[in-house]
Amino acid sequence: MLLSYLKIAWKVLQRRKFFTFISLFGISFTLMILLVVYALYDHTVGPHTPEKRVDRLLFVTHVGLWAPNSQSNSNPSYSFLNRYVRPLRTPEKVSIATGGGYAVAYVGNTKLKLSQKGTDGAFWQVLDFDFLAGRPYSVQEVGTDARVAVINESTARRYFGAVAGAVGRTIEADATGYRVVGVVRDVPAARTLSTADMWIPLGLAVDVNEPNYFGNCMAILLAPSAEALPAMQAEFKQVMRHVPVQDPKEFTELRVYANTLLGFTVRELMTDNDGPDDGVAWFGRVALGVALLFMLLPALNLVNLNVSRMLERSSEIGVRKAFGATAGRLVGQFLVENIFLTLLGGVLGLALAAGVLALLNGSSIIEHAQFALNGRVFAVALGAVLFFGLLSGVYPAYKMSKLPAIQALKGGTN
Amino acid sequence: MLKHLFTLIWNRKQANALLIVEIFLAFVVLFVVGSLLVYRWQNYRAPLGFAYEQVWAVDLDPGIQPKAERYATQQQIIQRIKSLPGVRAVTRSGSNTPFSNSHNLNNTERPNQRVLRPSGNVYNLDDAAGDVLQLPLEEGRWFDRRDDGAPVVVISRDMKELLFPNETAVGKLVVSNGKKRIVGVTAPFRADGDFADPKQAIFLRNGLQDTTFEHLETLLVRVQPGAGGALEKQISSDIRAIGPGWSSNITPLAEMRDKQLKAVLTPLVALVITCVFLIVNVALGLFGVLWQTINQRRSEIGLRRAIGASAGGISGQILGEILVVATFGLALGLLVAAQFPLLGVLGVRAGVYATAMLLAAGLVYLLTVVCALYPSRLAAGIQPAVALREE
Repeated sequence: MLLSYLKIAWKVLQRRKFFTFISLFGISFTLMILLVVYALYDHTVGPHTPEKRVDRLLFVTHVGLWAPNSQSNSNPSYSFLNRYVRPLRTPEKVSIATGGGYAVAYVGNTKLKLSQKGTDGAFWQVLDFDFLAGRPYSVQEVGTDARVAVINESTARRYFGAVAGAVGRTIEADATGYRVVGVVRDVPAARTLSTADMWIPLGLAVDVNEPNYFGNCMAILLAPSAEALPAMQAEFKQVMRHVPVQDPKEFTELRVYANTLLGFTVRELMTDNDGPDDGVAWFGRVALGVALLFMLLPALNLVNLNVSRMLERSSEIGVRKAFGATAGRLVGQFLVENIFLTLLGGVLGLALAAGVLALLNGSSIIEHAQFALNGRVFAVALGAVLFFGLLSGVYPAYKMSKLPAIQALKGGTN
Repeated sequence: MLKHLFTLIWNRKQANALLIVEIFLAFVVLFVVGSLLVYRWQNYRAPLGFAYEQVWAVDLDPGIQPKAERYATQQQIIQRIKSLPGVRAVTRSGSNTPFSNSHNLNNTERPNQRVLRPSGNVYNLDDAAGDVLQLPLEEGRWFDRRDDGAPVVVISRDMKELLFPNETAVGKLVVSNGKKRIVGVTAPFRADGDFADPKQAIFLRNGLQDTTFEHLETLLVRVQPGAGGALEKQISSDIRAIGPGWSSNITPLAEMRDKQLKAVLTPLVALVITCVFLIVNVALGLFGVLWQTINQRRSEIGLRRAIGASAGGISGQILGEILVVATFGLALGLLVAAQFPLLGVLGVRAGVYATAMLLAAGLVYLLTVVCALYPSRLAAGIQPAVALREE
């Protein structure tokens, strides 16, 4: 039965090539755009190197001092994090790193502007970098402020000419020599919290004795499991409630939050980003709404086309009705046909999206970006395709089944 | 004739409902995207209110030098940079340099007047900033030596209009971190870049008595035309020589502007591509449906031809019908679009909405006409004899 429906669908597709083209164009381009947007999203906050265990990580990146008529907001300092965040009991590990900075290196006369990040030893255990050569620096090396560095692949290429010989040699940045102990694969620029060209021990990059709450650091908290994340959040909130406000004459409240990677990214997007709500729920609703609205126009277009194409086939419907096909059967047939067409468009859309992403990767608009269609993106695509097929198939199918047999046989419209 | 067409479409409103909804949605999409584009375009054409070419931002990082010594080191560095050939002027600034997307917002008020106003941008600059950024002054003057000891500020035109709508501002007092006297008014200052709205700005003077380093870690340097890498290298190595452990990050403002333009334009381009795709989709659908309809109405059209309607009359009728359908859709769309300025949804000027509405309506009509041309000619070409025989 299904096979014969599919055969009919195939024949119908070939009958009016122009209409088939319009339908396929609509479906495949809609899917392509949705897929590309999702791939961008997944690339920014999905589980990828180095935040592979993204569902177990929380990030502390901002400290706000708040009073009804004045607010001050900055990155936290090392001493603040070391004193109030490191002693937390629920996290498996806590790492402290700098927010980022730049160092200048020269190869002959060309200037290399290297983004530089100071980290502690735990940084390499909390995040999962891909080491192409060598090893991360250890907790001991950080403790003694050893002049060692981990660099990324493109820095190794640009400074030393190749990845292979880089380990053990010295890179001079801001007139300071660092012994390279490891080379990692490039981290995409969209991973703003972990990306850098060069990672060095924290003590070399920041004054660890600065008592002020404001500084240039961040903390990464690793929960023992994804299920333990809410407990970690709760403990963090609980502890922060008792941290004294710095400068109590001017400020009344300390605002500091531990965000997931998505929460951090959404906060950056929001204009009012220092409230207790991280905006993830809002973001989810808006994203879903926009996606549905976006799909509505192409879907309406397909409904429109399907309705007028169905009228073209009214005599066929009349014959089938006259021979006893029920309305349900006809609806089933039409839905199968429509979903078949949508799936075909889905395959095309996937191919188009892969092409666009390859173009984006090749164009280096976004530094070190490696967009890819992975299992998650594919699942989203399949879901969208089926939703789309149903959305644009149900109404015409219903309308067709309602057509009286006699009128249909006559080839009438309605 | 027109009334007749409207009745015709109204009577078949159920059959045309989907088309109407589609045109309505297309109009809304065009209107929203159009509003954003018109808004950005109008901003882009307005002057920035400062000159950015040949200005470099030098971010200083004092490393682990004790705080008490930082100001003195910075002063030495400024003197050194000023003396370099190829450098015209140097000013100390906060981190909220033009195009940096960094802001320092605070409330500015008139003395003894507590009104809740939108907070404005606060820029900390010194006497040399007038030369470095070449700020055009509409009234008064930039601050200079004469102001030593007396707290003074310069405000932008937007700030003046907010605080002193119908009076002169120069010579009056404002409260911004203490009472200060206004000595000048600049043109609208748009440090947020080419696409941003002007925002009220107030320029505070960093006199020599302000010996802090903390919030003034950035230098703005105006260089001679043609200065490049060699000077950049010279400046950064001089900084390192004066302050042990100091490092610097030198970026020409033009480079920061390019980066910011790219950041603003990329999503806009993506939006326009998506919009174009949606509209092409609607156009193809419209075309397909019209074509299909003509095929179904062959007998009706044949009959009309047989009783003497001209080919032009037929294609005119088809065109007229679809334009009436489009008008229904547009009427719905305009109802929705009118809510935008009333509720202030996108937060742009009312004139922008009006322009966008006109543009979107024009585009929708153009689209329907283009899509209807071929099917209407097809209809006009139907031979009455052939069409009637089929029946």
